[in-house]
Amino acid sequence: MNMEQKNNAEAWGAAKAALEKIGFSPLGLLLLVIAAILPLVPPFNQEHMIRWLIMGAFLAAQSVAFDFTSGYIGVVNFGFAAVLGLGAYTSAILANTSPVLMVQPGISPWIGIWVGALLAGLVGLGLGWLTLRLRGIFAAVMAWFVGIALMGVVRNLTDLTRGPLGMNPQSLLDTTANRPYYYIILAMMLVVYIALRLVTRSHFGLAFKAIGQNIEAARASGINPTKYRVLNFAMSCMFAGWLGGFYAHYFGSLTPQTLMHTSKTVEVLALAYIGGRGSMWGGMLVAFPFVFLIEFLRSNLTELPGLHLVLYGALMVLVMIFYPNGVAGLYTWLVSKIRSARSKKE
Amino acid sequence: MKGKTSRSFFERITDNLAASIVIIATVVLAVGTGLAAGPSQVVNSIVTGGMWALLAVGLALVFGVMNVPHFAHGESFMVGAYVAYFVFSPIHKSLQENPNAFLSAVAPFLAILAAGVVGLVLGVILERLLFYPLRVRTKSGWVMNAFLLTVGISFILTNGTTLTLGPNFRGIPRYWDVEPLQFLGVRVAVDRIAAFFISIVSIAALWFFLRRTRTGRAIRAVSQDETGAQMMGINLNFIYPLTFALATALAAMSGASLLFMFQAYPTVGLKPLYFAWYVVMMAGLGNVVGAIVGGFIVAVLQTATQQFVGIAWEDVIPTAVMIIVLLVVPSGIFGSEVKGVQEQ
Repeated sequence: MNMEQKNNAEAWGAAKAALEKIGFSPLGLLLLVIAAILPLVPPFNQEHMIRWLIMGAFLAAQSVAFDFTSGYIGVVNFGFAAVLGLGAYTSAILANTSPVLMVQPGISPWIGIWVGALLAGLVGLGLGWLTLRLRGIFAAVMAWFVGIALMGVVRNLTDLTRGPLGMNPQSLLDTTANRPYYYIILAMMLVVYIALRLVTRSHFGLAFKAIGQNIEAARASGINPTKYRVLNFAMSCMFAGWLGGFYAHYFGSLTPQTLMHTSKTVEVLALAYIGGRGSMWGGMLVAFPFVFLIEFLRSNLTELPGLHLVLYGALMVLVMIFYPNGVAGLYTWLVSKIRSARSKKE
Repeated sequence: MKGKTSRSFFERITDNLAASIVIIATVVLAVGTGLAAGPSQVVNSIVTGGMWALLAVGLALVFGVMNVPHFAHGESFMVGAYVAYFVFSPIHKSLQENPNAFLSAVAPFLAILAAGVVGLVLGVILERLLFYPLRVRTKSGWVMNAFLLTVGISFILTNGTTLTLGPNFRGIPRYWDVEPLQFLGVRVAVDRIAAFFISIVSIAALWFFLRRTRTGRAIRAVSQDETGAQMMGINLNFIYPLTFALATALAAMSGASLLFMFQAYPTVGLKPLYFAWYVVMMAGLGNVVGAIVGGFIVAVLQTATQQFVGIAWEDVIPTAVMIIVLLVVPSGIFGSEVKGVQEQ
């Protein structure tokens, strides 16, 4: 009996360690399972609720990719939404078969998404190479400029993108149901999270953290800051482009204003910061309830347009000033409290 | 103005190859635009240049003194536009019923002044309410934190305005109901001339304030060395709100004096913000004098783009030029005067 208990404990420990490797605690796994069965349970199985869930997972994945840069190397990618839009438009143009537009390659969206990701990653690489030798603020502002320029390009190349009229890219699946899309975006979210978590667990992650904390000390210990920062930036951009591909082929409508505008970046930024910078999972956790809260406010307080955005901003400012560790910090604090209380009892 | 040597700004420009090339290229471009489109385009770029300069000076000041990359500068512009509208339009209405020549000449100035005062107050409030607690909490990662804080402010102000005043446009056709003046065969509206003079006078006043008054010298001392300034008995809790309020007031005044061009609506600040940042990045972060020259350079570039490529490319071409410039001179053409442009 005793032996069995020990074995169980060992197995539990090994499973926990394996989970830990890909960045999940048992609680996190539980939440993930809940997220996976949520669209099957009423009231969440209504189509509009599933749409909100999809939005939540989409924002969650974005906030992970965003936090990978802002939380680790301390560079805010202010053109994040535009890079995402670049991925979306690339994939949409490649998949296009409509005679309205100039080119009609008609490549399957399943392939186009990857091309979009690659292109976004390349743009990130170039942008990072150009600006990340300087202080982080240069990179942030330049990314913003490039984002605005990208938006301008999309607006102006009407032969390719129909400009402000918007494109209607073909959809990923032959179904109008939302549930399959939800599982796709949930899987994409997991891929982004686990991939970036594995990177941060490797020696790259150590270098990123060192650079984020003190770049001079990092340089003194033989890390080439520019190389790692550019690498990080490019990876984050690549995932942004990848997620953009999903957006294009799920929502079926792309306009520069709704996809690439700076305010979209700010939404992701706010989520990542409220979740807790440098945690990656914080923003992912916060995204779901947030989308529900915001959609609830939006549909119930139609006479007050923009209230949800004001709340967004206010919460972000408060977190920034008074509680920089966000929800993730709150969780760590709670866990340490419980642990110390337990050890006192013993 | 904050350099270690006593060389004048113009001497430094002639020493600086990149700056000389850019300035010569700008003059050539301006002349080219003038020849192609007539002198009215040149006048246009001078007027816009003055305004970009006024906005950019505020940005440069805030960055130089407080190390805050101010992203809500456009919202100060927006607030100024709204204040001017709400001050000017009632006066204008009452003037239509009982005309008064003196009041109709003065009313625009009243509106612009009111915008400046509101800007001052707003600046002090924002600094005390938001930047002060942040500074008390931590100084580490200050630039990025402050930047994100201003992003939050911008988000709140824009959407708060939509919430309270609605998304509709509020504008006026013109401030002064008089015939346009003639300059070298070009008809220029009085509003434009006034806007240009307001920006020039504001910049000159700021310049005088920074150079010749005790408080102005204190501000410059803080921008050079915070700790040293503190040791000399300068109260940072006075200098920071003052600087921020000045920058906000400058932006609000430019928003007010451009009300005839940019109507007041919640996101009106985005474009001025974008161009002001563009000026500051190109001229060199924190370089106040560079920002003045940069304002005109950018305005010429913008007018030339509109003229030769099309107004839709206004966002794209300047960015492309900027990337090329920053490739060659990463800290801006006039050089950044901020301690440590390299990551610290």
